[in-house]
Amino acid sequence: MSAHPLRLRVNGRPVELADVPVTERLLDTLRGRLDLKGTKEGCRTGGCGACTVLVDGRSTLSCLTLAQEAAEAEITTIEGVGSDAEGHRVQAAFEAVGAVQCGYCTPGFVMALTGLLKERGAAAPFGEFLEELGGNLCRCTGYGAIVRAAAALRAEAASR
Amino acid sequence: MADLDLVTPATSDEAVAALRTLPPEETAILAGGTDLLFDLEEGRLSARHLLSLRRLPWRTLDWNGPTLTIGSTLPLRTLELDPEVRTRLPGLLEGVRAVGSVALRHRATLGGNLGRSAPASDLVPVLLALDAEVELLGPTGTRTLSVDRFVQGSRRTARGPSELIRAVRIPEARPSAYVLQRVRPFHDISHMAIAVSFSPSDRRWRVAVAGFPPRPILLPEAATFLGGEHPDAPAVLRAAQEITERAPIVADRRASEEYRRQLVRPLLERAVRAATGGGG
Ligand SMILES: Cc1cc2nc3c(=O)[nH]c(=O)nc-3n(C[C@H](O)[C@H](O)[C@H](O)COP(=O)(O)OP(=O)(O)OC[C@H]3O[C@@H](n4cnc5c(N)ncnc54)[C@H](O)[C@@H]3O)c2cc1C
Ligand code: FES
Ligand code: FES
Repeated sequence: MSAHPLRLRVNGRPVELADVPVTERLLDTLRGRLDLKGTKEGCRTGGCGACTVLVDGRSTLSCLTLAQEAAEAEITTIEGVGSDAEGHRVQAAFEAVGAVQCGYCTPGFVMALTGLLKERGAAAPFGEFLEELGGNLCRCTGYGAIVRAAAALRAEAASR
Repeated sequence: MADLDLVTPATSDEAVAALRTLPPEETAILAGGTDLLFDLEEGRLSARHLLSLRRLPWRTLDWNGPTLTIGSTLPLRTLELDPEVRTRLPGLLEGVRAVGSVALRHRATLGGNLGRSAPASDLVPVLLALDAEVELLGPTGTRTLSVDRFVQGSRRTARGPSELIRAVRIPEARPSAYVLQRVRPFHDISHMAIAVSFSPSDRRWRVAVAGFPPRPILLPEAATFLGGEHPDAPAVLRAAQEITERAPIVADRRASEEYRRQLVRPLLERAVRAATGGGG
């Protein structure tokens, strides 16, 4: 079987890989080939959100996306999201309210909320924030602090 | 898992050409992949070729008067954010919003949901209640089939081995609703669901129930009990009784038959109330 080269843009940089199997998931390409281990693997079946990245600015489950399907797309991971204005705001909100305990789920939550801010703006109804968060699981925080971080992001947008 | 060879047609003609040459029994069709990657990983598919629909110009949403045509590869999230879908097809909006999470809906498609044809699909019952049709594209052209004829059972559809789902057509914007019973409010699979619509042209209700095998079903007899545009409480109760007593509701590993039959009345009441403007 012939080689499958792959070109991606990850965190603003072009990436060229000589041969990425068609069945390889974006999650494994990011963690295994590009050493971007901030993106976490939880369930590998779309149920936990730990693997969430942005593909062309939209929250996407990297465990359910073939790397080859992201060819030419712009991918943002937790390693790159801090240099994005919305991403930085989400990180600061998580820190301010103490929404991080063990931290395993945190990259996924940060990427999901950053994606929502990009797609819908910080003034989106709060129900949309909760709906976005509904795709991510956290075993430590009981979600209270994470929901407070989301509420703070909306309040901050309203006062800007 | 052995690696596959990837085919990514960029036009409908290229897709048809690919369908003519690839052996159907060795070809997996990939839209969003949210169902297919499971099957690939579990070794359920003996595919050697992966036909990706990613580059096809089918991510479309077209309103033509009352009719909505949805390209099969349009991400569900785009459908859900369309302002006209929100106001003109509220039942479709609720069905879409019930599918997985936002991040999942950025990739999952309507074509994939029909292709998988799951008994607990949140979209099949809505499409049934809305009289939707599936447009199939094959080596010899296109044909159109009602969703009711297309969907046959879990992983079973009327799709020919070399056909692609090209689009889904909903003939008219309608008062409609979709309500479901599940354990968690987001990102959970339904135990039982009801979709309803009222057609302004033939002035009839459609009622579909879903969540149990083998597939979501339309219940035309029960729907006649609802009568006209604004069913009163006794009419809804009679329709609910008809469904509870006669619909082929069964148990599976997610819920018992008795529980599901008890859910009929509250779900139908909520669905009719939502579709007639009374809120869900
Ligand atoms: C965590 C999780 C939660 C989910 N929750 C729900 C839910 O709440 N409700 C629900 O209804 N579903 C749910 N699903 C199932 C799935 O996400 C949906 O069925 C989705 O709509 C499938 O779309 P896709 O584009 O990802 O399909 P794919 O996985 O790409 O394809 C699914 C099947 O259809 C075939 N196919 C795809 N497109 C075409 C086409 N155009 N022509 C012919 N065949 C085609 C494929 O070959 C495959 O067999 C969930 C899945 C996961 C992983
Ligand atoms: S690892 Fe992707 S959703 Fe859990
Ligand atoms: S902080 Fe530990 S899983 Fe969320």
